[in-house]
Amino acid sequence: MTKDSFHEKITLALSFLILNNYLFLSLNFFQLIIKINFIIFLIVIFAFYFKNFSENPFLKIFFLFIIFISLGTATSEWDPRSIWLFHAKRIFYDQSIFSVSDNYGELWHNAYPSLAPALASSLATLVGYWNEVFPKLSFLLMFLPPLILTYVFLKNTQYLIFLSIVFFTIGKHLFTGWTDGLVAVYFCLSTFLMYLLIVSENNFFKKKIIFYLIAFCFFITLTLIKNEGIALLLILFVVTFLIKLYQGDLKNNIIKLIYLSFSFIPIILWKLFCYSKGIGNEHINSNILLNILPRLYEIENYKLISYFLLLNEKFIYSLVFFLVAFWIKWNMELFRFISFVALSYIFILFFIFLSTPYDLHWQLDSTAVRVVKSLSFLFAFFGLYNLRNWRIEN
Amino acid sequence: MYFKSGFKYEIIKNPFNKNAGISYAVSGEVIETNKILKKQKVINFNLSEGFKNNDYLYQRTIEYNYPIRMNETSKLVLFLNTEEIANDCKIIETGKYLKLTQCRYDKR
Repeated sequence: MTKDSFHEKITLALSFLILNNYLFLSLNFFQLIIKINFIIFLIVIFAFYFKNFSENPFLKIFFLFIIFISLGTATSEWDPRSIWLFHAKRIFYDQSIFSVSDNYGELWHNAYPSLAPALASSLATLVGYWNEVFPKLSFLLMFLPPLILTYVFLKNTQYLIFLSIVFFTIGKHLFTGWTDGLVAVYFCLSTFLMYLLIVSENNFFKKKIIFYLIAFCFFITLTLIKNEGIALLLILFVVTFLIKLYQGDLKNNIIKLIYLSFSFIPIILWKLFCYSKGIGNEHINSNILLNILPRLYEIENYKLISYFLLLNEKFIYSLVFFLVAFWIKWNMELFRFISFVALSYIFILFFIFLSTPYDLHWQLDSTAVRVVKSLSFLFAFFGLYNLRNWRIEN
Repeated sequence: MYFKSGFKYEIIKNPFNKNAGISYAVSGEVIETNKILKKQKVINFNLSEGFKNNDYLYQRTIEYNYPIRMNETSKLVLFLNTEEIANDCKIIETGKYLKLTQCRYDKR
């Protein structure tokens, strides 16, 4: 087994076990099965650390450092406590992800997907009790599959730069129990896999079945972390479909796209369950037009959204890095794909913010800096990847 | 020493302790609600207007006490010490910040 294929297998195993945990909780499996699944998950992480001990030391040290910080912080901010860890606490005590069907505490967004809370609850099940510190560690462990996979493509100094980008764009969202960092990283790696497996004309990875399995797992994970993930994956599919249609190459890829689109099934089932129980989403409802219409013709609203989204300093740095990287080495295929994906997401964000039922300034002030992380990370990652290709060619 | 991340030596010393980090996660009032509710073996409780009008106290009390549930029809009502208690409510326990009372009527 080569070092790269070891990393690919570890990525697949961890992703599969995270989803397995969610499936077991959905099917009301015994606690023992859930504990065994989590123990296997931890064993795979140990295997990553100790098999080829000297391989990928940057990630291993970086990750231990973040674990240390995570175990030294309490969860006090509203989103992590009231949404993600409260959902996890409910799953832990009720031993089911469907306990939200009673809609206890409507304020706590019961309709949100619960993959990350499910893993946190299983860690608490394994430990045997709940507290205010360690359950959020599982959110951090969910970062491992995409971070390990990246090592297949970026090595040594490049990987160190990649980790710096993770730290720069995701920051404390790595360890405080927020899920926006997870969305950003899974979205970026899902975009990357979609590019390698479908969009790109020719590459070695297209022939490796394990990459399709990893992509499938990442796509499911992306949709089950947060509602934004559903929109982001939909964008990936639509942009890829349109590019292939424009190139007249859809016939060769349509079967792959159809198979990969099955990754929407778990989130569709979850949303159907919520709908059947009357668990609503206060943002997307029949009032959406009433909210958006008065704001649509006010130029000030667009300025305000642009200020919060596009003048975010991390977004600007990442965008400049991306543009410089493509100026140094032009790659039309990759540039077009990433630009379409990013522009589509910006368009959707404008729509979402214009239709918010809350005060626009308050909504932007509380959420823009988090949702823009996905774009910042996307630009920075692909800038780096493009420079890596340029270096290989030279 | 202050860390922007919220990192605390007191927490990292024993992060797997059942009470690790609670004083950094929630306020003293919220911690006391849990102490009193557990001591009195309460299954569900209601909150006074003082709690309900304070978003922080209302939300954190509900989250922190789960699986003890807030129930609008419960006659066991938590009041802040700064609030006046209605005549039809009998005090069960008084703490530093709040009181647990048993009220005759469902709605407070």
